Amino acid sequence: MEKQEQRKWFLRLSEALTGYGQFQLEGTGNVDDFLATLEEIVKPDITNRLLLEFSKLWENDKDGNTLEAGIRNHLMTDPLLGPVARNLIKLWYLGSWYQLPALWRENFGSHAGDYDHVISPRSYVEGLVWDAIKAHPQGAKQPGFGTWAFPPEVD
Amino acid sequence: MSETKDKIYDVVIVGSGIAGSLIAKYLTQKGKTVLLLEAGTGSYDLSQNWKDYQEYMKTFFMSQEKGVNSAYPVNLDAPSPSLNSLSTPPDDSGYFVQMGPQNFGSNFVRINGGTTQHWLGTCLRMLPDDFRMKSTYGVEVDWPITYDDLENWYGFAEYEIGVSADVDEQDYLGIKFPKGYRYPMRKIPQSYLDQKLTEGLKGKTIEFENKEYPVKVVSTPQGRNSTPDPDYRPVGFEPTEKWKKGEKGFQVEGAVSPWDLGARCEGNSNCIPICPVQAKYNATRSLFGAKRENMEVKFQAVASEVEFDPETNEVKAIWYKRYEDKNSPEYTLEKAVGKVFVLAANAIENAKLMLASEKEKAHPLMGKNLMDHPVLLGWGLLPEPIGAFRGPGSTSGIPSLRNGDFRKNRAAFRIEIGNWGWSWPDSAPYKPLIQSVDEYGRFGKNLRETFKAETQRQFRFGFLIEQDPQVSNSVTISPNYKDRLGNYRPIINYNFSDYTKNGFVAALKTYKEIFKWLNVENYTNYNPSESTYFEYEGIGFSWGGAGHIVGTHKMGLTEKDGVVDSYQRSFDHANLFIAGCGSMPTIGTSNPTLTMAALCLRTAA
Repeated sequence: MEKQEQRKWFLRLSEALTGYGQFQLEGTGNVDDFLATLEEIVKPDITNRLLLEFSKLWENDKDGNTLEAGIRNHLMTDPLLGPVARNLIKLWYLGSWYQLPALWRENFGSHAGDYDHVISPRSYVEGLVWDAIKAHPQGAKQPGFGTWAFPPEVD
Repeated sequence: MSETKDKIYDVVIVGSGIAGSLIAKYLTQKGKTVLLLEAGTGSYDLSQNWKDYQEYMKTFFMSQEKGVNSAYPVNLDAPSPSLNSLSTPPDDSGYFVQMGPQNFGSNFVRINGGTTQHWLGTCLRMLPDDFRMKSTYGVEVDWPITYDDLENWYGFAEYEIGVSADVDEQDYLGIKFPKGYRYPMRKIPQSYLDQKLTEGLKGKTIEFENKEYPVKVVSTPQGRNSTPDPDYRPVGFEPTEKWKKGEKGFQVEGAVSPWDLGARCEGNSNCIPICPVQAKYNATRSLFGAKRENMEVKFQAVASEVEFDPETNEVKAIWYKRYEDKNSPEYTLEKAVGKVFVLAANAIENAKLMLASEKEKAHPLMGKNLMDHPVLLGWGLLPEPIGAFRGPGSTSGIPSLRNGDFRKNRAAFRIEIGNWGWSWPDSAPYKPLIQSVDEYGRFGKNLRETFKAETQRQFRFGFLIEQDPQVSNSVTISPNYKDRLGNYRPIINYNFSDYTKNGFVAALKTYKEIFKWLNVENYTNYNPSESTYFEYEGIGFSWGGAGHIVGTHKMGLTEKDGVVDSYQRSFDHANLFIAGCGSMPTIGTSNPTLTMAALCLRTAA
């Protein structure tokens, strides 16, 4: 897959998997790091297969309401791509790569770098989980004195 | 073997934690020359100290586990205990050699500023009855001093740490203050959760042994910066810094360097393991507050043996192993000579060093009566979102059950209200997020929304249960267990008495009743697979350590019932002070740092 094309589909896939828009995902500054992490750990071949499968689901979603079911029923159940997609969600939310399941490593190979680790200080700080829980990354983006006394944000 | 030449210091101190740093600050300001030995890394140079601190932050960000010591470098030349690898005792895989039957669940960190680097900052005073358990309730022991003896030293300690609290909320269960006393800073605002619990528990009482006790939420005094009290003035003590007549207002101390950071708590929600802006007190503030021309600090200097004069039994010197590189096992043996010596290396390291040095001549109580606060958690979901994971780890507690007639029969406890959701019981948000993705197959908007809904109502209580002193709970040493520099590793025997276990039972009853009262969905679950799991009276419990390591060189009236006197002076060695939480004969239900600080300021005077 051509580089620019790859990045486009990576961003679209990330949006569908995380529930966060491309604008917010770009704002984390982590798009290129995470794509590189994926290519490094599961290799370009599997990365591109994931993106290709997703792009098919996307292209087939003519009415804009079949993508979610497509991901659930095809991508997430795929023995090769499902665990990688789930790892990508954890990467975006928590900023860490988590080791792939034992069965996956047995079937599809174990790779250097496939162990639990934080990608970078920024990947931790920009983890989506902190926004999801309406807090802030512990140890960063401090909201200021006394803010913990405010009512929580409800929408 | 080499001897450093050969300055004789007025005082040689081991340990740069709060005990050592406060004593050093006070003594140097009074004109004494002090050599301070710190086993861990660090620097007495301001700009280097700042760089180190930034490095700790980076280490924290990059740490996968984010545990209590995760911000600090691994150092095998001066190892710190790790809690990540606790398994069922006996277990010698960590720094501690855990002999059981219970694991000792607490740790410390050996680095500049000691364990105040990762403490939460809770600054509770002990209750008057905590000092006289034997005479009041017929259990445990009495201290050789009373609350009254310590009252003004508490004020002094609150000044040195810079404690935030409102005095009119803190005079419960016999705690009293001299007339006109104020805390240096106004109380830290209570979290939204605290406010909701205060409201919900209004008028609530709970019965123990046919007596009703109030269940009242109270703001907790904390060693973190709030708004300085403009009318503050020291009452009842003379601070280290001179106060002019009529002068008023507390001057807040922020980060050790640069000066403009960390004035007030900024809500980083990260007191443990590290406050990014140093709004939370750590002992480097006191260390750098010492009078520099009288002070010398040696880092990477691990005290390994105290040398005694065989005639007088006084201390002649402290031998220490100085390493250049924490990643190498090489060291040189050096000697520190002084007139007076202070061991302030924490309760476990103090005892270990004395046992290594005195051998069979050690005081029979050395290393005995090891105590901690086992923490029983109760967690659940409140009916409404309360904004979990915001602010300092805890801003309030329920202290009203810290004392009562029930203490004749069972341990008391203080309830800490946790602001960080289920971070302690369930490693939230990490573990539940992973579960949502891997087990429940959630993704996209559904993941985002359900996860928010699930976490926003999370809260937990922590019951800090009093442990009574037992000589069988001990720190010992053996030539079979040494670290890389050849220093002893602590061997720990640890268990709970029925008195303490009865406290667990009462804690369980308490949160169940409170949860019911507040309509909390209870998610508490003590898993038999956990290394701290035990059963008592048919009930299963698991618990965690509080980091409150107390009692290994207890003070007494005479050498028969104590290792040190009430000034922490060794009965056996006239020019030796053994300082810190190890001197405390009982632990009560308060986090012990403030009491330790008060004792150490009294020692320094």
